[in-house]
Amino acid sequence: MSKKFILKRTIFWILTIIIILVVIGPLIWIYLTAFKSPNDIFTSELSRQFIFTPTLDNFKRLFTQFAFFGSLLNTIIISVASTIIVMIIAVPAAYSFSRWNTGGGHILFVTISTRMFPAVVAALPFFILFRNLGLLDTHIGLILLYMYFNVSFATFLLYGFFRDVPIELEQAALIDGYGRFNIFRKVVLPLVLPGIVTTSVFCLIWSWNEFLYAFLFTRSSAKTMTVLISSFWGSIEIQYGPMAAGAAIGVLPTLIAAWFMQRYIVRGLTFGAVKG
Amino acid sequence: MSRVDCKNIWKIYSGNVIGVKDLTFTCGDKEFLAILGPSGGGKSSTLRMLAGLEEISKGEILFDGELVNNMGPNERNIALAFESYALYYRLTVYENIAFPLRAKGFKKEKVNKMVKEIAESLNLEPVLNTKPSGLAGGHQQRVSLARALVRKPRLTLLDEPLSHMDQRIRAAIRAQIRRIHEEFGNTTIYVTHDQEEAISLSDRILIIFEGQKQQIGTIEEIYNKPVNRFVANFVGQPGMNFINGKIDSTNAVSILLDGGKQEIKFTGEIDSKYIGSGIVIGFRPQQIKISHKKEKESNIPARVKIVEFQGDSTVLTLTLDDQKKTEIKVNIPAGGTRYKRGEECWLELQPKFVHLFNEQEKAIVKR
Repeated sequence: MSKKFILKRTIFWILTIIIILVVIGPLIWIYLTAFKSPNDIFTSELSRQFIFTPTLDNFKRLFTQFAFFGSLLNTIIISVASTIIVMIIAVPAAYSFSRWNTGGGHILFVTISTRMFPAVVAALPFFILFRNLGLLDTHIGLILLYMYFNVSFATFLLYGFFRDVPIELEQAALIDGYGRFNIFRKVVLPLVLPGIVTTSVFCLIWSWNEFLYAFLFTRSSAKTMTVLISSFWGSIEIQYGPMAAGAAIGVLPTLIAAWFMQRYIVRGLTFGAVKG
Repeated sequence: MSRVDCKNIWKIYSGNVIGVKDLTFTCGDKEFLAILGPSGGGKSSTLRMLAGLEEISKGEILFDGELVNNMGPNERNIALAFESYALYYRLTVYENIAFPLRAKGFKKEKVNKMVKEIAESLNLEPVLNTKPSGLAGGHQQRVSLARALVRKPRLTLLDEPLSHMDQRIRAAIRAQIRRIHEEFGNTTIYVTHDQEEAISLSDRILIIFEGQKQQIGTIEEIYNKPVNRFVANFVGQPGMNFINGKIDSTNAVSILLDGGKQEIKFTGEIDSKYIGSGIVIGFRPQQIKISHKKEKESNIPARVKIVEFQGDSTVLTLTLDDQKKTEIKVNIPAGGTRYKRGEECWLELQPKFVHLFNEQEKAIVKR
C-alpha cells in the first residue's frame, strides 16, 4: 500500500468518525440524560457522564407535572391528519401532472414554488389571516398550514414516482377494456405504493418535527410536543431531565421510520439526480 | 374478424411534425397485413391510431364500415401486443393473461380455460405461476402476445412482437402467430421493420416510409414490381442494385463503361417521352447471371471486390469498369461456381428483371 493510499484512508475514516459523532452525539446525549437523575446530569465527573444509575424519574415527571400526553396527542392528530389530507390531494395531482402535463407545467411550478422561500416569510400573513379566521391555537389551523407546506413537496416527490410507471402499462390496460379509474386503482396504484408510503412518511416526519409554526400559532389547546419541549428552557432554569425525556420520546418515531425506510430515503434524497 | 379501412389518415404531432401523411389502405376481414418500413417511418403511429392511443389528426378509420375515430381504445375491441411487453410485473403470468378477460367479466372457469388454451399454444404452461420479472425477454414477449391473443378481439395489432427474441425462438413463435391467426380467424395488423418477418407471416405487406404509403401488395408484387426506388432497395436482401444509364429505345437502355457504351435490353412498356433521357437502372442481386467467361455480347464486365459467405448463399460485391467504379451486389447460391477477390467476371441481366426509375424515383416500366 502506498503512503498516498494510507493517507487517503486515514482522512476518510477521520471525517467519517467526525460526521458520525456530530449526528449521533446529540442522540446519545438525549438518551443518556433522559435516564439520569439531576445529580448525574450536572456532575463534572467524566465517568459519571456514562456510568450512572438509570432512573425513570424524568419520564414520570414529564407525564405527571407537564401536559406532555396532551401535546403528544396534538402532534399525532395534527401530523397524521395533515399527512392524510396531503396525500389525498397530492396523489391525484402528481398523477395528473405526470400523465397529462396538466397546466403545461405552470401549475406544477406554482405548486412547487411554495417551497422556494423560507417558511418564516409566510408566517406573518398567515398569522394575520388565521387570527381573523379564528384558527389560531386550533388543530385545524396547524393541519391547514402543514398541508400547505407538504402538498408541494409530496406532489413533486410523487410526480417522479408516477413518471417511473411506463405509460404502455396503462395503455395496455386501456385496450384490455378497463376504464381510467380502474386502471389507476389496479395498475398504477400498486406500482407507486412504495412511493406513496415513502412520501407519507416524509410528510409525517416533517409535521411531527415542525417547530416554528407550531410555536407561533399555538398557545395551549393545540400545543404540540416540540413546543412543549422548548418550554423546558425557561428564563430561571433549564429542566434538562424532562427536556431529554420528551426529546427521547419525540425522536423515537422518526428514528424508527428512518431505520425502516433508509433505502427509500436515500432514493428521496437523490431524487432528481438520475433524471435526464 | 373485421375489415379495417384507413382513409387519408394523418398524424400531425405538436410542432407540426408529421408522423403519418395521407395514408390510405384496407386490411380485409381475416387478413394478415404487415406494415413494414424503417424505424421512424410512421408504422407505430399508424398502429397507435388504429388502437385509439393516438388521436387521428385528419382522415377516417373504419372497422367493418363503422367510424371509430372518436372511440376510445376500450370501445374498439382490439388487442395490442407492445414491443416493450407492457406486462403487469406484480401479477403472475396467469394473471397477466387473464387480465383482459376479467375486464370483460368472464366467469372463472371460462377465464381458466381460455388462459390454459393460449398458454399451451405459446408454450407458457410451465411459467404460468411465475412473475414476469423472473422470465427472460423472449418469454415476456410471449406472455405479452398471449395477453393480446387470448381475447379473440375483432382486430389484433402486433407492434414488433418478436424483436426481443433470439433467432430460433423467433421462427417458432412466428409459426404460432400465424397458426393462431388462422385458427381464431383474426384480422391481424403486424408492425415490423424486419422484412423476413413480414414476408413469412403476412398475406399482404404495406410499406411505409417517412409517414407515407409506398406500396401495398403481396410479397411477389412488391418484390417483382416495386413502384419506386425506395421499395426496390428496401425489400430484398441485399437490396436492389442501381446504375445510372440512358434510355435508347422502348426496349433498351445503355450504361457507359470504360470500354464504351453497353446496351441492356428490357421487356415491358415505357412512355416514349423517356427516350433519350437519363434513368436509373435497377436489378436484383438474386436475378443476375454471373460467369467467369464472356458468353454473350451483352455481358457486362466486372471485378470481384468482396466475397461474403452466408451459409445458403454467397454475396459478391463487384465493381463495374465505369468511371465511378460503381459497386453492385450479386447473390449466388452456395455450392455453385466460386469466385475469388480480384477475379474478373461477366454479368448477364435478363430483360424481364430490369427495372427503370425516373428522376422522381418512380418505376416507369409497365409489365
